[in-house]
Amino acid sequence: MNSARRRWLKAAAAVGASLPFSGCERLISRTAKEFGQTIPDHIAVADGAEISPAFHLLSRTSYGIWPGDLDRVKKGSHEAWIEAQLAPEKIDDTLCELRARRFETLHHDPGTCYEYKKPVLREEITRHTLLRAVYSQRQLFEVMVGFWTDHLNINLEKGDCIYLKPADDRTVIRAHALGKFQDLIRASATSPAMLVYLDGKENKKANSNDIPNENYARELLELHTLGIHGGYTQQDVYEVARCLTGWRLRTKWRKGTVYFDPALHDDGEKTVLGTRIQSGGGEKDVDRVVEIVCHHPSTARFIATKLAQKFVIENPPASLVDRVAKVFTATGGDIKAMLREILHSDEFKAARGAKFKRPFHFIASALRAMGADTHAHKPLIEYLLRMGQAPFEHPTPDGYPDEAAPWLGTLLWRWNFALALAANEVPSVAVEPLKLIEAIDGNSGPEAISPAKLLPHFIGRAGAETELKSLNEFAASVGLAANERKAEMVGLILASPAFQRY
Amino acid sequence: MTSRRGFLRQMMIGDESVVDAAGDQTLICIFLRGGADTLNLIVPYGDDLYYKLRPTISIAPPTANESATDVAVKLDDFYAFHPKLRPLLPLFKEGRLAIVQSVGSDNTSGSHFEAQDQMEHGESQNHVIGGGWLGRHLRSRAGREMTPLSAIAISPTIPESLRGAPSASALKSLDEVQIKNPRAVSQALTAMYGAEVGLLSQPGRATLDLLNRVERLRGKPYQVENNAAYPEDDFGSGLREIARLVKARVGLEAASVDLGGWDTHFFQGTTGGLQAEQIDLLGRGLAAFDADLSRERERVTVVVMTEFGRRIYENSSLGTDHGRGFAMIAIGSRINGGKVHGDKPDLKTEDETLLGPSGLPIIFDYRSVLAEVLSGVIGNHNLHRIFPGFQSQPVGLVSSSK
Repeated sequence: MNSARRRWLKAAAAVGASLPFSGCERLISRTAKEFGQTIPDHIAVADGAEISPAFHLLSRTSYGIWPGDLDRVKKGSHEAWIEAQLAPEKIDDTLCELRARRFETLHHDPGTCYEYKKPVLREEITRHTLLRAVYSQRQLFEVMVGFWTDHLNINLEKGDCIYLKPADDRTVIRAHALGKFQDLIRASATSPAMLVYLDGKENKKANSNDIPNENYARELLELHTLGIHGGYTQQDVYEVARCLTGWRLRTKWRKGTVYFDPALHDDGEKTVLGTRIQSGGGEKDVDRVVEIVCHHPSTARFIATKLAQKFVIENPPASLVDRVAKVFTATGGDIKAMLREILHSDEFKAARGAKFKRPFHFIASALRAMGADTHAHKPLIEYLLRMGQAPFEHPTPDGYPDEAAPWLGTLLWRWNFALALAANEVPSVAVEPLKLIEAIDGNSGPEAISPAKLLPHFIGRAGAETELKSLNEFAASVGLAANERKAEMVGLILASPAFQRY
Repeated sequence: MTSRRGFLRQMMIGDESVVDAAGDQTLICIFLRGGADTLNLIVPYGDDLYYKLRPTISIAPPTANESATDVAVKLDDFYAFHPKLRPLLPLFKEGRLAIVQSVGSDNTSGSHFEAQDQMEHGESQNHVIGGGWLGRHLRSRAGREMTPLSAIAISPTIPESLRGAPSASALKSLDEVQIKNPRAVSQALTAMYGAEVGLLSQPGRATLDLLNRVERLRGKPYQVENNAAYPEDDFGSGLREIARLVKARVGLEAASVDLGGWDTHFFQGTTGGLQAEQIDLLGRGLAAFDADLSRERERVTVVVMTEFGRRIYENSSLGTDHGRGFAMIAIGSRINGGKVHGDKPDLKTEDETLLGPSGLPIIFDYRSVLAEVLSGVIGNHNLHRIFPGFQSQPVGLVSSSK
């Protein structure tokens, strides 16, 4: 890491000196490219009739296959890839950091964030999220960050959430994305952003006839832990809400900091899911509640189901859910252990191409498949908005749905993005379709491109007869001599049904 | 461009007459997401309990000054509009706007998502039917060909209510519906999605067909009628796009529009404030839509619903928590309007149950209201298919004489 960093600094200085003043982003792009964040000279692709196991593993544990990734996975065992991805702190991510670390609001505490204007905060956290998804080497980590961001959804547009979400992203989601589930929930329970988003900071008992605000308590049980059919009652919601009274946010000095006000806490005895919580627990009540809900068998099952839906298939087999739930229980909610169980399972291996990419995944995977150079400016983000999946913009606490059906109306916008991207017509994004074609097609040179050779890079298998027929007819009708036609061919592949799946 | 047009024409599925015959009736469903506190929209000012239970967030009763903006707007001796609904007063007076009080579902979870899903599916609690109620309506209504513009959702994603529709498109504006590339690209897409047999086959073909139809609408910038002033937001522009489609007679039968921001647990406000902002959008949007479509009134019906009402009493954060019954609004020339259907709401029961979502007791199942509109206005009598196993009760919402 150190030597790599020193090497980079030297190189960055050299590149900087060799360029006229070109802005920080061009310098970053150049530097990143120098160090391999680009299309390799030659790309091996899978060419079986079925999606190759390595491509499948990569597809599910990443935001898409960067040119050359497949070679890297093929060289080692699948287990080695999984283990490496499960230890993200050991993966050098300097080149991604170059693009993503420079957004200063992401590093501030809430109090400092209040000094920024909302559009700046929104832009930085959104760009940061997309850039990490596209460029991080810690791909599985980023996938899990996305998963928990949906699970513990916070909408930037509610109240002061926009000032508080950067800290939540850092200290809740990213801090625990591959850690212990209970730690994640505990961190979220008193995260300033969550206290605003689900009204926890308004949940108080100042006098005897105050009624608690149940908003967070309900979602904690329904969405974060036990699940809607997890066996809790309205009384449990009420009791959990009572336990969580008294958590407040400072409004002036150290604005946005959490504190516990004993005077606003309901300190009576409570019973949550059959467990008695003695009176006088004060601020420890939240720890007890989190412990009780995280140890409930419904929680193990609910989280196991959601993970299996995320990584395997929309309706995962009960056998898999059972095993993952058991791992949850046996390991105290160890997220890595559950992922190991899933990624090594036969159910996982059998589910190739069974999932439909959500818009964010589609866009990230298209950028990755093209080896695109971008700093994720507004024109790119607008595609995400249009397809209804801009980061942190889901209005309701259930997070963006991880199912195909709600997204099937976005095809038109996917086609337009695919065609614009390949034609280098998405402002602020640069792609090199010809270089990609050459790298895939190797010796024969760009003149000889054929759909049959190109398709596998994008979809992990040989094109089916009907797919090739459609693309060959296109090639025959327009000819592929002009560069625009070649780009259109690539765009069509990105727009094809197979690229919408993973 | 001519070749593209020619290609598009050649790709048309069905003939022109099918499009023109379809969609004599358009049903617009507006969903107030978050559980709207309709007691502050349709204010029961005639009941003292309302003011007793809401010491800080009630809407003051109407006064002699009929244009006052800080008090409710009188509808009858018991009910009044929130002042931000004033733009809808003429519709009420002309008898085209009706309110049904104490509507709801049997869902007791207090969960937004479950209550919304259940209602959009048109189900009883824990009785999953499959598909949404609009989807089943579109599948079961007789005698018409479906077009890709038969069902539109003005939203990023297709809502649950349109699940299972033969086709449904989610969009924000018609101007976005196009592919700029040459026709060979469209042809290749047609071939690829045409060859699909799985999940993407139907949406792919529907999208291609939508492109063709919209192509013909474009190029004519949309002019509103009667100086209709839509709110400058997604809700307003969504309603404007729907009006445009209604007038263009492209076969639009069902449209879904969302208006969010009703989950007012905290600092709900009264004649101003968080809820009032949403009420303002709703009132101005519906009034503009009505004005813009004044020549199409015979063909357009609007229903406004939410997943549940809120508690009758305010909470300690000057808001209201999840409740049960709510008021639905229906607008249309065949709607028996100018009145509030249903008995006066029972505000008393609240004291007995402090736990769980209590609130207005429910008199009408939401499906009874929808069933009357579907059958009485839209002309789909296959209610057993739309709401299987449900026996609807008369509401009196649709006037047979008109």
